Amino acid sequence: MSLVALPLVVLWPAAIVLALLDGRRRGPGLVAVGALAVVFVLLAVLLGKVSTGGAVELVPGGWADDVGIRLRVDALGAVFAVLSCGVLLAALLQAVLTGVSSRTVPALTLFMALGLTGLFLTGDVFSFYVFFELAMIAAYALTGAGGGGRPLGAAFIFAVVNLVGSFLFLIAVGTLYRATGTLEMQAVAELAARLDPTTAILIAITFFVAFGIKLGLFPFHFWLPTVYLSVAPPVAAMFAGALANIGAYGLLRFGGTILPAELELSAMALIAIGTVSIAYGALQAIARRDTREVLAYSSIGHAGYVLVALGLGGPIGIAAAVIFSIANALNKTLLFLAAELRGRLAATAFLLGALSVAGVPPSAGFFGKAALFDAGIDAGSAITVVLLFVGGALSFVYLFQIYQHDHWRPREERGRAMRTEPAGTGQRAVAFALALVVLALGLWPEPLLAIGEQAGQDVLSTGGRR
Amino acid sequence: MNLLFAAVIGVLFGAGVLLLLKPDLFRVVAGLVLISNAANLTLMASGLTVGRAPIQPAEGAEPVSDPLVQAMTLTALVIGFAVTAVLLALSYGVYRSRHSVDLDELSRAEVREAAEDEAREAAHDDERELDEVIG
Repeated sequence: MSLVALPLVVLWPAAIVLALLDGRRRGPGLVAVGALAVVFVLLAVLLGKVSTGGAVELVPGGWADDVGIRLRVDALGAVFAVLSCGVLLAALLQAVLTGVSSRTVPALTLFMALGLTGLFLTGDVFSFYVFFELAMIAAYALTGAGGGGRPLGAAFIFAVVNLVGSFLFLIAVGTLYRATGTLEMQAVAELAARLDPTTAILIAITFFVAFGIKLGLFPFHFWLPTVYLSVAPPVAAMFAGALANIGAYGLLRFGGTILPAELELSAMALIAIGTVSIAYGALQAIARRDTREVLAYSSIGHAGYVLVALGLGGPIGIAAAVIFSIANALNKTLLFLAAELRGRLAATAFLLGALSVAGVPPSAGFFGKAALFDAGIDAGSAITVVLLFVGGALSFVYLFQIYQHDHWRPREERGRAMRTEPAGTGQRAVAFALALVVLALGLWPEPLLAIGEQAGQDVLSTGGRR
Repeated sequence: MNLLFAAVIGVLFGAGVLLLLKPDLFRVVAGLVLISNAANLTLMASGLTVGRAPIQPAEGAEPVSDPLVQAMTLTALVIGFAVTAVLLALSYGVYRSRHSVDLDELSRAEVREAAEDEAREAAHDDERELDEVIG
C-alpha cells in the first residue's frame, strides 16, 4: 500500500463505522480522535518524504497511467493536508473532552477530514470537486448538528451560499474540460497556457468567485459571521482552521499552477479586493464585543492578506501566501479553542494566539507577517507595506480588547458574562498545547519557511508559461 | 446543438437564481436544484461528440463518443441529489423549530430573539450597577 492512499484508506472505514455509533459516548469519540491522530502521523511522514524527494504520484485501482484517476502529492498539498488534519485533531479532541452534544459529530469530523485530505492529495480537477463537496456537506451537517432554530438556520444559509459556489466551480470545471480536453491538473496547466485569453479569464473569474465564497473574502463574506456564531467553539475552530484552507489552497492551485497568466493579469484587482477585505474585517472586528463575532470578522480580514500575497505574485509572493495561510490557520484555531475558556492556562494560550495574530515575535504569526512584508518590499509596493502595518496594529487592538474583556474583569462579573461551564483541565491543555506549537514555530521557523518556499516552487514550476 | 444547450442552461440558471431570491425556504431549495442541473448540463455540453458507445473492447475505427463527461455528470447528479436531501432536511428542521418557512418571518424571529438576549444582558448590567451603588 502506497503512503499516498493510506490516509484515505484509514479514514473511509473509520468514518463509516463511526456514523453508526453514538458519538456522544466517550468511546467512539476517542476512536475518532485516534483515527485522526494516525492519519496525521501518516500525512506528516508523507510531507517529510515529499519535501525532500519531490512529488509522489499514484494511480489507484491498477489502471493504466493514462486512464486512471491520479493521486498526486507535492509539498503544497502535503503541507495543507497535515495542517488541516492537525487542526481537526486538536478541535475534535477538545470537543470530545468537553462532551459532544450530538451523536454525529465525530463521524462528520472524520468525513470532513476525508474530504480535505482527498482534495489536497488529488491530481485530478474533477476528483477535487468530489472531495471538496464531501468536506462541505460534512460541514453543513456539522453546523446544524446541535439542532434548534438558530444553528439550523445558519446551516441553511451556509449550505445555500456555498452550494452556489460549488456549482459555479462545477461549471468552471466543465468549461475548463471543454477548453483543454483533459482533467489532470498538470496536463490542464500545460494546455491552459495555450488558451485564448478571453476564455481563460472567464474560467479564472469563475474559479475565483467559487473559492472566494469558500474563503469568505469581502464581497462574498456575508454567510461567515452567522455560521461561526451559531456553532460550538471547537466546530468554529474546524471551519476557520481547516475548512477555510480549501479556499487558500484552491486559489494557489488553480490560480498559481493552472492559470498563472490570468493571476498576473488580475494582480491589481486581487490586491484591491484583498485590501478592502483587510480593512472591512478589521473595522468590523473592532466594533464587535462578542469574542466569536470578533474572531469571525478577523477571519474575513485575514483572508484578504492571502489574496494580497497572491496579487504580489512571483515565488516570494506565493511562498508568503503559503506561510501566512499556515500561520493564520494555526492562530485562528488556537483563538477559537482558547476563547470562552477560563483559567490561567487558557488565558495564556489566548494571549499567545493574539500576539501571534498581531505578528509579535517569537510566534508563527510573526513569520507569516514577515513573509508578507518581504513580498511587499520585493514587489516595491509601499501601499502593501503600510497596509500590513496598519492591519497588524488593528488586529492587536481588537484582540487585546477581547482579552481584556474576557480575562481582566473581576471573577464574579466574568462568570455571568461567559456562557460556558468552567473548563476542564483537558480542554485547557489542548488549547495550551496548540499555543506551544505556535510558539515553537516562532522560535524555530526553519521548517515552516523551507516548506513555504518549496510549496511556492511547486506552484510555479508545474504551470505552463504563455 | 451547442446553441440549444447554451439556451437551456441559461434559462435553467436564470430561473434558479430567480427562485433563490424568493423569501421562501423551499423555493430557495428548488432554485438550487435548477442551478445544479444547469451545472450538470454544462458538464454534458463540454464533451458533446457523436460516436459509438464507449464500451470495451473497442472495435473498428469509428470514433467513440466521450465517456468522461457522462461519468462526470453521473457523479455530479448523485452529489446534487445528496445535497438536495441535506437541504430539505435542514429546511424541515428550521420549519419544525420555528413553524415557518417564510424567510422574512424567520429573520424577524431572529431579531426578536437577539433583542431579548440584549434586554437580559442589560438587566444584568443594571443589577450590577445597583450592586456597586449599594455595596
